[in-house]
Amino acid sequence: MKRPPDAGDILQGTLDMLILRTLLMGPAHGHAITEVIEHTSENALEVEQGSLYPALHRLEDRGLVSSQWGVSENNRRAKFYTLTSKGRKELSAATGRWHRMTRAIGLILGESHE
Amino acid sequence: MGLPGELKRRIQMLFHREQFRRDLEEEMRLHLDLRRQQQLDRGLSPVEAARAAHLKFGNTTRIKERSLMAWGSETLESFFSDIVYGARALFRSPALTVVALLSLALGIGANTAIFSLLDAVLLRSLPVKDPQQLVLLGRGNSSGIGDNFVSTELYSYPFYRQLQQKNAVFSGVAAIFSMTDDVHGFVLNNEGESNTDSQLMHVNLVSGTYFPMLGVRAQLGRTLNEADDSSEGDHPVVVLSHGFWKRSLASDPNVLNRKIKLGTTIFTIVGVAHREFFGTSVGESPDMWVPMSMTKSVPPGWDAYNKNFVQSMNVIGRLKPDVSLAQATTNVNLLLQQITRGFSDAVLSQKNLNKLSKTHVPLTPMANGLSSIRQEFSEPLQILMAVVALVLLIACANIANLLLARSTARARELAVRQALGARRSRLIRQLLTESLVLALAGGMLGIGFAVVANRFLLRMVSDGFETLPLDIGLNLRLLGFTFAVTVTTAILFGTIPAFRATRLHLTDSLKDGRGPGGARAKNPLAKVLVVSQVALSLVLMVGAGLFLRSLVNLNHIDPGFNRENVLRLQVETDVTGYKEDDPRLNALFQQIESRVSALPGVKAASFSSFTFHEGSWSDAIFVSGMPNNENIEVHQNVVGNGYFDTMQIPLIAGRTFSTADTATSQRVAVISEHIAKTLFPPGNPVGHHFGLGDNKPEHDFEVIGIVKDAKFDSLQENSENVNYLSYLQRPWNFGDFEVRYSGDFSNISASVQQAIKSINHNVRISHVTTLDDQVARTVTNQRLVAQLSTFFGLLAVFLSAIGIYGLMSYVVSRRTNEIGIRMALGAARSNVSWLVLREILLLVAIGIAIGIPVALAADRLVANMLVGFKGADPVSLTAAVVLLLLVTSAAGYFPAKRASMVDPMEALRYE
Repeated sequence: MKRPPDAGDILQGTLDMLILRTLLMGPAHGHAITEVIEHTSENALEVEQGSLYPALHRLEDRGLVSSQWGVSENNRRAKFYTLTSKGRKELSAATGRWHRMTRAIGLILGESHE
Repeated sequence: MGLPGELKRRIQMLFHREQFRRDLEEEMRLHLDLRRQQQLDRGLSPVEAARAAHLKFGNTTRIKERSLMAWGSETLESFFSDIVYGARALFRSPALTVVALLSLALGIGANTAIFSLLDAVLLRSLPVKDPQQLVLLGRGNSSGIGDNFVSTELYSYPFYRQLQQKNAVFSGVAAIFSMTDDVHGFVLNNEGESNTDSQLMHVNLVSGTYFPMLGVRAQLGRTLNEADDSSEGDHPVVVLSHGFWKRSLASDPNVLNRKIKLGTTIFTIVGVAHREFFGTSVGESPDMWVPMSMTKSVPPGWDAYNKNFVQSMNVIGRLKPDVSLAQATTNVNLLLQQITRGFSDAVLSQKNLNKLSKTHVPLTPMANGLSSIRQEFSEPLQILMAVVALVLLIACANIANLLLARSTARARELAVRQALGARRSRLIRQLLTESLVLALAGGMLGIGFAVVANRFLLRMVSDGFETLPLDIGLNLRLLGFTFAVTVTTAILFGTIPAFRATRLHLTDSLKDGRGPGGARAKNPLAKVLVVSQVALSLVLMVGAGLFLRSLVNLNHIDPGFNRENVLRLQVETDVTGYKEDDPRLNALFQQIESRVSALPGVKAASFSSFTFHEGSWSDAIFVSGMPNNENIEVHQNVVGNGYFDTMQIPLIAGRTFSTADTATSQRVAVISEHIAKTLFPPGNPVGHHFGLGDNKPEHDFEVIGIVKDAKFDSLQENSENVNYLSYLQRPWNFGDFEVRYSGDFSNISASVQQAIKSINHNVRISHVTTLDDQVARTVTNQRLVAQLSTFFGLLAVFLSAIGIYGLMSYVVSRRTNEIGIRMALGAARSNVSWLVLREILLLVAIGIAIGIPVALAADRLVANMLVGFKGADPVSLTAAVVLLLLVTSAAGYFPAKRASMVDPMEALRYE
């Protein structure tokens, strides 16, 4: 059942960061988060639902997001996820790590910066 | 979120699982709907939109599971559901479950029970201070009272005193009377009255050093001390055992005010020994300990306190910390020479001095205590231990086989579940839980079984009158061990197939069961298990056969007397207060004999000091004109005039005792045929004289008759050296009374007891039984081993048969497809049966081929337990092989028959 690796698959561990980044703009439910990530990345990134919900619950378990029930755009009961202050800190740390890493990889690949 | 909050949430999760699940489902449903809407907006048809949404979404079950896992509650939750699921799965196949549970229970239970007994008899240390420092003078295989010049097993009390003073190697020395005295005594209340009937009390005489030297404390009051043993006859004190205090005095806290009456003496209770202390002899816990200084007051009133050459004591010493066993042995042997020669009444004849100089006392470590039952039971118990260990192996093989077959049959189920999104680790854990449920349930049953079996065993080894006082609490270490072995087996073999199955490519497994691929699926592990089960069963069956034949042979040995129709009982005359040489005692005996002989249905009756297997009084005899070998011990039996008629021991020459042989006439003796031939000069020994023991003039006897040899101590003994003396000439404080009767045992028994009571209603009658029973009881060991090994042998065969049945049923079900094809192509039903049977027979044949040499080797190990034949016994071997073949063929027959019943069309449609 293994599929060949695809650029569309989100690197392991970065999904958490992307979710946190998405929630920085305000509370959102699962579908909205997927939509935002996919649109913002111009459909280059595709969020597998199989990963999304476990990731959300993992984040909630770690106290990085909190959730409350609300009403969705189509008037259905939906669970909205909100970034906590702990989540904000984690996001900035993760973003820092990410920048450091992409820069390092860029250097190795010989890309110029600035 | 702090730790307490975290924990609180986790626990809430556990209880609000359902809520969480519903929320999650709703959340995902919304997601799907929104996505479908999105696809619809893009112009897809509703069906296509739903499909695309689902495709993108993935496996919802798996998401749910992983989401739950993210909350960390999955492990605990799934554990519970696995247990429920496992139990349900077990109930679905009750036959397998019952067999597996029984295998486990018997494997664990039998091992634990037998080992617990083995432990109590052989291995456990005495509950005293530093038991490893204790040593025994001699080997500890003798008890009684003797009057030799020197002995390496038993010692006189004065010898113990001297050794205590002169030795340089022991920090303490104690002496223990080598027999417990069985006394019918009374417990008195504060006013010195007895409000109960007399009761049997086992009294052990010990030196005053006994308790202090062993380091045993009192539970109540004090123990005995050196002062109690300082001078003869004036220290009537007694220390009770904890068991007796509890049993007979209802743990009375004021017990120190009460008294015990033994014979005619009233003893003060000064203490109760510590709860754990049962004495120094395993299997003989005394009810009370009395200082040796009171020996004459405790019936039968042995006179041994001041006699330098009356040996009756076991002597134990506690090694000083820096003294080795070798140093102690040297010191003790040096002192033995000095002390024996130094006694003022030592007869320093050349013969005695020669004997003394050749005497060497070995020291035996006695951390585990003395024991007469140890020698008796150590071999049978070890054999039984080996037997049950094999049964444990077979049980494990059986469980392995059953679980293996079952789990393999479930490979497809596992594949389906994996395809539906179950994780591999999750499946493995579930099978593990199932095996665990099975193993633990079996283990619990096993513990229950062990408890029951333990009591049963103890009753079997006890002599019928009293249960052996052994602490046979279950051995927890062994229980743990057997538990671990069986549980590991269950888990291992229950889980191996899970690993195997889940590693497979799913699509292959899903297709499995179709085509010959499944039929070819060999199961070498299961086959190896069956072969080893068969081999082990054969070994056990052969062993059982040997022990059974041995028992039969033993029961066919002619004891030399007629064991049928003899009532025997014990008449105790302590209460009369007559001493051994009191003529009134002999008069009482004669009166009883004549009164009982006259009863209707009674053919003959007689007192005797021994009948069969009751210990002995042995002494050398000295025949003039013959080289006297004082090492040939002759059993001396003091009997009444009617003894030979009662026992039906045939007279060969001369006459037996008559009323003409009195205290004042020439002392006479009747000898056994064997001594007539070996110890007397050729020719007729009747009329010859011989000396007994110390060869003093008053111990001169004339042979008046020769009787056929009769067994004296055991059915297996070879030397039948018995010399019979008349109690009218050689007084004896009897116990044994034998009555030959015809008719109903209980009627005779009642009328005999009544007759005895009518003569003197104070005498006590006990141990009423038959001679046959008494003889049969001496083969308890052999019977125990034969019965138990037969039981376990049959059990082993049964387990193997089940193993074979299980394996073959499985194989047949796997091959249904293939069989269908064969039959469709024209194979006869008998061919199909044979196809299956052939496989079984091959496995059984291999098992037997392996089993035979092992069984033959094992025979040699038990050779000296066997009676009437040596080692390799073709009958037992053949019987075992035939039985095994029959049973295993039967076990294979049903699957084979089922295979032949396969309907080809049905089989081809199968799966």
